[in-house]
Amino acid sequence: MKIDWQRIGIKELAALISEKLREKGIDTILVGGACVSIYTKNRYLSFDLDFVTHARIKDVSAVLDEVGFRRESSRHFIRRDCPFFIEFVAPPAAIGDEPLKDENRISTKYGTVVLLTPTDSVKDRLSAYYHWNDTQALDQAMLVAKAQKINLHEVKRWSEKERRTEKYLDFLRRLRSKK
Amino acid sequence: MLEGVFGNITIEKILFMLYVYGEGYPLGFAKTFGEPVNRFQQQLRRLENAGIVISRLIGKVRLYTFNPRYPFLEELKALVAKAYEFLPDKEKKAYYTKRTRPRRAGKPL
Repeated sequence: MKIDWQRIGIKELAALISEKLREKGIDTILVGGACVSIYTKNRYLSFDLDFVTHARIKDVSAVLDEVGFRRESSRHFIRRDCPFFIEFVAPPAAIGDEPLKDENRISTKYGTVVLLTPTDSVKDRLSAYYHWNDTQALDQAMLVAKAQKINLHEVKRWSEKERRTEKYLDFLRRLRSKK
Repeated sequence: MLEGVFGNITIEKILFMLYVYGEGYPLGFAKTFGEPVNRFQQQLRRLENAGIVISRLIGKVRLYTFNPRYPFLEELKALVAKAYEFLPDKEKKAYYTKRTRPRRAGKPL
């Protein structure tokens, strides 16, 4: 299959990379801003694909090399004709101090990508807002919450556990006012 | 004390510094301990790759803190806190009791 690296979409690239790694027995989960892009159909556009894997970076590197992505620094990979940047962040895949309990799978013509559920994607973005007051992350959380069906009870439970109820209420207020 | 767990003494020093002061930068660590700056830069990069610390650039200084999103942060801090208790007073005084309150610019010493 011929791939147009310059025009490939983030979902398709994530699926292609995931599939290539899976063929070599390497499991990954896509986290971070790329999930927001996928869930919002690029209303927020990320050029950064963050994967979590328990595999050795050396093994990952060998697979990515086969599809033309070169290791740029310890955990980053780039391909000169592709606008996206791939990073393998340190495991475990977690939201706050909780391991992920669920995952989502999206299939494309290039393969299947395993990624955060929409609810976990909202929590992931809110985590950046809670800890660093990052309002861009808050906006991204709202975009996902508006574009996808999410479990607000779960977001509330987790926010309370993170001791960020006030910020959760702020998120909820903004979400409802912009609906 | 934690060298056996973390593999080297530099990591232990970084973790104690972050535990005591909340933040730090490579040159500050190097000056405090009178050691080469690249030794700290290398280990801070290692900790950052592992998701244990995060950094941000302030002017020309890369400032490091614990990563509040690291899932084992509470447990790690508890371990560091416990080990810090066992540190000899002489060492605590030499390295971990720097002035942290502000000093107005231009104020004579």
